[in-house]
Amino acid sequence: MKRYDTMGIILISKDQIPPITDIRANSALPIAGRYRIIDFVLSNMSNAGITNIGVATESNYSSLMDHLKSGKPWDLDRKNWGLNILPPSMEKVSYGQIKGNIDMLAGIRDFILKSQQTYVILSLGNEIYNIDFAQVIEQHIESQADVTVLYKNLAGAEESELQRYNLLEIDDEGRVTDIEVQPYYPKTANAGMDIYVMEKALLESIIDECSARGDSDFVKDALIKKMDGMRVYAAEHKGFASKIDTMKSYYQNNMKFLDAEFRAEMFNPERPIYTKTKDQSPTKYGADAEVENSFISDGCQIDGTVINSVLSRGVKIEKGAVVKNSIIMQDSVIEEGVEIDHVVFDKEVVITKGRKLIGQESYPLAIAKGTII
Amino acid sequence: MVSKDCVAMILAGGQGSRLGALTKNVAKPAVPFGGKYRIIDFPLSNCVHSGIDTVGVLTQYQPLELNTYIGNGNPWDLDRSHGGAYVLPPYQSAQVGEWYKGTANAIYQNLGFLEGFNPKNVLILSGDHIYKMHYGQMLKRHKETGAAATIAVMPVPWEEASRFGIMNVDAEGNIVEFEEKPAEPKSNLASMGIYIFDYKALKKYLTDDERDPESSNDFGKNIIPAMLANGEKMVSYRFEGYWKDVGTIQSLWEANMDLIDDPPKFDINDRKWIIYSRNFALAPHYVGKGAKITNSTVTEGCSISGSVDHSVIFGGVSIGEGSSVKDSVVMPGAVIGKNVTIEKTVIGPNAVIEDGARVGVSETEDNKYASKMCTHGIVLIEGSAKVDVNEDIPKGSMVEVL
Repeated sequence: MKRYDTMGIILISKDQIPPITDIRANSALPIAGRYRIIDFVLSNMSNAGITNIGVATESNYSSLMDHLKSGKPWDLDRKNWGLNILPPSMEKVSYGQIKGNIDMLAGIRDFILKSQQTYVILSLGNEIYNIDFAQVIEQHIESQADVTVLYKNLAGAEESELQRYNLLEIDDEGRVTDIEVQPYYPKTANAGMDIYVMEKALLESIIDECSARGDSDFVKDALIKKMDGMRVYAAEHKGFASKIDTMKSYYQNNMKFLDAEFRAEMFNPERPIYTKTKDQSPTKYGADAEVENSFISDGCQIDGTVINSVLSRGVKIEKGAVVKNSIIMQDSVIEEGVEIDHVVFDKEVVITKGRKLIGQESYPLAIAKGTII
Repeated sequence: MVSKDCVAMILAGGQGSRLGALTKNVAKPAVPFGGKYRIIDFPLSNCVHSGIDTVGVLTQYQPLELNTYIGNGNPWDLDRSHGGAYVLPPYQSAQVGEWYKGTANAIYQNLGFLEGFNPKNVLILSGDHIYKMHYGQMLKRHKETGAAATIAVMPVPWEEASRFGIMNVDAEGNIVEFEEKPAEPKSNLASMGIYIFDYKALKKYLTDDERDPESSNDFGKNIIPAMLANGEKMVSYRFEGYWKDVGTIQSLWEANMDLIDDPPKFDINDRKWIIYSRNFALAPHYVGKGAKITNSTVTEGCSISGSVDHSVIFGGVSIGEGSSVKDSVVMPGAVIGKNVTIEKTVIGPNAVIEDGARVGVSETEDNKYASKMCTHGIVLIEGSAKVDVNEDIPKGSMVEVL
């Protein structure tokens, strides 16, 4: 099985979504109640039998390290290989400054070199999806491509949506002929998913070559410039996939979990999504609880009304409080009589008695961790 | 070799035959409890919070599920380099090979295990009680008094005292007499089946007991009386909190109901005393449009579209539209269809209740499912059993897999 001969690299996304990324990396953002964004890619890798995974971090990584620890929940606490959280060694980075993802890869060059797998699957930890990576790797090997890029066809999506992605031009044989990085005028709807499969040796040479020239971007400086000489192939992911890089996409992607079809795909029992367990007790519903169309984690105490919302672990909704269309992170408290609609509350937010906070679907009201209103 | 101050041994080999179909395929300590736990999570979590890091779990009856559940002990933070959780089944040796004959014999057969840790004290626990207890405080008293054995006791109502093993104690709490289910109790302090022994004394009494062919090799019947008869210092340790033996279908149902009272009789949402458990990766639960959940607990992996009142719903359960579940305990993975009515029922893991069924609602004289074990009108549906479309299961039934 070739897939066991593959290592995984996750580059921690630097996309900023204030205020919720002020205290943590994008990849460590809570999502779907009990998960973090990185759980999806990590679980996908683990489910594909990949046991050597490096997570390249740059800054703001204490929350991420606390979440990942030894990698046990993803079955990655291994005697051989396992999960490696890798702050960059700056002396390996050209000019000692991280400008792009090549610099992040250069910073973990030693880890890549000493890994003994033939193939590597490289990903940015800022998307949620449930993909059979084993099959992606098989397909890469069969197609004899130098690099396989996963993409999602977003035909029909609005321009503003397409502008967030690297768009691929693909010929009839599936070969990528051009890539446009987040173009203002999108020409195609083939949105690159920032998931790449290649031989490890190729990645090593790309890192070295780019670093030597002071180039810093994997797509712009390596893939696009070498498009003619390299066989870059596209593989379509037909299921759901979504990048989380703005408050709007953060909000919408959380809300998608209220859809049964979406949940069924994301939580495919054949490929479970793992996360750190917190040993919370089951959620308790009081005599006056009214809950509808909501996704609720363990350890909550619900005595009020919750509609169309996603609650993380340990959230308290007191009597008479009404929560609608909102995302409430861990251990937040919504006191008696509070009314909230279209809000995103970070952890440990407390809304005291009788307050009213209303955001809009296009602009959810986001409140930073630990805020007391 | 570092010697351990205290090693715990959990007696988890019992069948729990009074739990009927619930323990047909699993040992009692592995029976699901409280939404996301199993009974054995309570003594295991108590050990960890009490600073006891070496725990032997003695299994015998239907051990497969229990053994897998405990695994390397990681969920309870018991995967340790020196110590941790160990599953101890009966084994064959050069001289003899036999089943555990009684609670005392089970420990006797594992003296070799204890020897490896050279403990000063040994804590004996049962794997079928629901409670939170700091064994460290009991151990402290055990050391302060220098007793050969310390036994945890709790006051029970006088009228029920004759159902328990009763300890008669003096003013200092020294045990002067032990009476098993006395007709006329002299005290209302019941033994909780929790003992701390000085290891050397334990070894001596277990070895002597083993030589006696007449002995039933039981702590309550043989070891404790023998130690008392020999004048050993035996001390009681009084426990006042919630403690429940969930040995019958009714007591298991009641203990689950104790969790959802407001305020709960027993609080499992205590972040200072977390009850750990091994949980499979499940998503948060989804509450659908038209669902109504009150006075209940619901956990990960559930999908609820019906109404749930005063019930404990375990992981991965689905409840269809128009269904109503009341005063019930629904164990992991059970599937409840549409327009089902369920009252006062314990539904075993992965049972299927098809559309339109009525369970625990009607009453009838001639009930083919009637079971003596289902007291108080409670219905028990065995794990993986199926209740057919529109079927009516009267109160007091036990539905088994055919």
